[in-house]
Amino acid sequence: MTDPRHAPADGPPPIAPGTPPILQLQGICKYFPGVIANQDVSLDVAPGEIHALLGENGAGKSTLMNVVTGIYQPDGGEIILDGYGQSFAAPQDAIRAGIGMVHQHFKLVPAFTVAENIHLGWRETPFRASAKTLESRTRALSERFGFSVRPDAVVADLSAGEQQRVEILRVLARQARLLILDEPTAVLTPAETRDLFRALRAFRARGNAVILISHKLDEVIDISDRISILRAGRHVGTWRTADCTAAGLATIMVGREIVRRDLRARAPGAAAIARDPGAAAPVLSLRGASCRDARGIETLRDVTLDVHGGEILGIAGVAGNGQRELTQVLTGMMPLSAGTVLLDGAPVPLADPAAFARAGIGHIPEDRLRSGLAPSLDITDNMALREYARPPIGRHGLYDRAAAARLAGTIVAAAEVRVPDLATPIRNLSGGNQQRLVARREIRIASRVLVAAYPSRGLDIGAIATVLRYLTDLRDQGVAVVLVSEDLEELLNVADRIGVLFHGRLMATIDAATADMETIGLLMGGRSAPNGPTSGGGHA
Amino acid sequence: MAGTLHRLPTVTPARRLAWRAGAIAAALAITTLFLALSGRDPRLLADLVVRSAVGSRFGLEDLALFLTPLLLTGAAVTVTGRIGVWNIGAEGQFYAGAIGATAVGLFLPGPAWLVLPLMAACGIACGMGWILLPALARAYAGVNEIITTLLLNFVAGLLTTYLAVGPWHDRVTGALASTGRLPVRIPEIWGVVHWGFPIALAIVLALAWLTTRTRWGYQITIGGANDQAARYAGIPVRARILGAMLLSGGLAALAGMFEVAGTVHRLQGGLANNFGYFGIVVAVLARGSCLNVLPAALLMAFILDAGIVLQTQQLTASAVLAITGLVLFMIAIADELAHYRPVTVRRATTGAEARP
Repeated sequence: MTDPRHAPADGPPPIAPGTPPILQLQGICKYFPGVIANQDVSLDVAPGEIHALLGENGAGKSTLMNVVTGIYQPDGGEIILDGYGQSFAAPQDAIRAGIGMVHQHFKLVPAFTVAENIHLGWRETPFRASAKTLESRTRALSERFGFSVRPDAVVADLSAGEQQRVEILRVLARQARLLILDEPTAVLTPAETRDLFRALRAFRARGNAVILISHKLDEVIDISDRISILRAGRHVGTWRTADCTAAGLATIMVGREIVRRDLRARAPGAAAIARDPGAAAPVLSLRGASCRDARGIETLRDVTLDVHGGEILGIAGVAGNGQRELTQVLTGMMPLSAGTVLLDGAPVPLADPAAFARAGIGHIPEDRLRSGLAPSLDITDNMALREYARPPIGRHGLYDRAAAARLAGTIVAAAEVRVPDLATPIRNLSGGNQQRLVARREIRIASRVLVAAYPSRGLDIGAIATVLRYLTDLRDQGVAVVLVSEDLEELLNVADRIGVLFHGRLMATIDAATADMETIGLLMGGRSAPNGPTSGGGHA
Repeated sequence: MAGTLHRLPTVTPARRLAWRAGAIAAALAITTLFLALSGRDPRLLADLVVRSAVGSRFGLEDLALFLTPLLLTGAAVTVTGRIGVWNIGAEGQFYAGAIGATAVGLFLPGPAWLVLPLMAACGIACGMGWILLPALARAYAGVNEIITTLLLNFVAGLLTTYLAVGPWHDRVTGALASTGRLPVRIPEIWGVVHWGFPIALAIVLALAWLTTRTRWGYQITIGGANDQAARYAGIPVRARILGAMLLSGGLAALAGMFEVAGTVHRLQGGLANNFGYFGIVVAVLARGSCLNVLPAALLMAFILDAGIVLQTQQLTASAVLAITGLVLFMIAIADELAHYRPVTVRRATTGAEARP
């Protein structure tokens, strides 16, 4: 592919001096109740540029892009397109102004053909839209923009990479000059990624711009011209990619003021970690564990780990890299496609959450309202969820409501939650109180292991401290704790070891006491640690 | 509107009951209005309805006969509703139960004490068989049960008519539209009211206990409230959906058996008399509680009873359906409005529902 007009084949085109940026953001602010999502964000995207946007989960990238695409209205600041101030009342305005976004989760109609999806909700769709017309129009678009698609294929039958091409083509067909891609390579194979990048370079060569949200540092360095980093809703800075290294970016991205408050110190008399040679088998282990989602994509790949009594194993990683699957495998909610789960060194034949709970494995689920509670039912019914089948609540196939109410009262008291009465629907409680109740309910179950997924998500500082204290207390009693978190500060303060997940793979398990941010950041971005302080505990 | 409305997250039973009473009053008011507009004297009609439906022994007997199938079909729809499944096919399972019971009654001679339980067992098995396919499809393939159960109603209704006019038709009297009279009958306890009535009452009470006081009932409740939480707790949701639907089919079928062996004494087309569909109305009124099925079925039976009286006064049979629809509609509005409270202006707390 050589384009005679430009010296470097797919490089940035020469831009006349004084050309205004395609997009300029000035002091964008966006607030949600109790949350500062974006504060004073200013950055610009020039024509002929691929601009990468980096940041941790919750750093404000998605909010910022939703402001740019007209889904949210900014609470402050200005959006300037080609030198003119713009305000978007609705997403359609942004599309008309040439801004197109491809979301991480595709917004296609699976039952429709590619051609139908491309033409859906588009004002240029001809009034008499026969399948033939739409397909020939789609073929023309596909050739014009260099994204090969099969116009007559039904979207549901396409691979993730093909669906993404349809999504991009749909945006380009609407004359987008600024293409925003959210984690575009997360679902792609390496070959598809190369194809995508080739197409993006061609798009850039025509004087258009791309904003690329990604966590993969290697890719970002490979494709982007400049990199902006957001942290806690604020713009930290913008650098030319040529001046950046992966290690440096990782440090900037996660390297905020980390308060290292060592919660690893055991109270006197606390149980020691049962990890020494000669000690009993680890409480819970995975050997070569893999699982696949409904589409057959491997979401957990060959994970081997051991959890010992009396320790907290932290699991770090960018959300969506296998954390959900790992917690579900460890709690018996998801069967493995390969590998084994071992409980006290003995393989567990069947993934059965009730059996895992009986074996003493508690589970604080990621999304407590959706999967850990029945929101419309009262506190009593919700607190009985784990013990309804055991005496005193469950005897001879009965459900003793009075005993269930006594249990609920015990849990409510232990959680120090004030409730008007136990017949209150649990959805009427605050998120913090719900989380405390779920945590106390599961701690009663967790005589061996507690698997806690994002237990502090959405809580205020006081509630977070309470929940973390629950975990350390449990550890001191000799229970093994698996703590999945997106908050590195929390992991570094509480965990004894930290495992990092990337694309379903456990990159490494490192000793938390000596771990440094840079190593964790690199691992989270898919780089293996150079010579990091890898402890042997992970890949035993 | 000067004031704003404030939505209450939960509604106390007393408040809901007050709103529902208002809704029924409003439905009656609208009915009265239309009767008056069509040139009838509403006071005279109301007087007649009350006197013949609840003021006379015949009226009360009829009420109990209407109540018997409504209790069972209402409970059938309520039981599946608790796990978040809508059994729209109680009508079809009612027919299936009647067919199964009739088969035993017609072709298996024997003493009543033996034949009646066999009729019930065979009827229940047929009702369960009738819902088995939709239940399996729902539990294991996620096929929408509303469509499948509904469509099977027409099959069951036509099958009943076919049997009644075809292979099983009455060869003694030569009547073309029904089978011969069954040799056994459920014994009466009070006038024409048979033992099916107290049994249906007892079954509803037993179901109220089953759904709230047993492990099975708890699992059903959790599965209906949030199936993800049920899976998280290791509850076999599919097996519970299957079980609840089979129970539901059996209940509706038992209503069919009672109807054929206790009230009509022969199988004929149209036997179900919409009891299966009225069961849905009862379940909606009962809001998922088996205990509430009792008053809900009573209200429905009263409306049906009143309909008979109105028909003797040259009102069309569709009037009953219209009144039922109106009551349901008003109650749906009242249930929603019960969640709202005007914050600044204390006005329009009662009048809102009376406005059509």
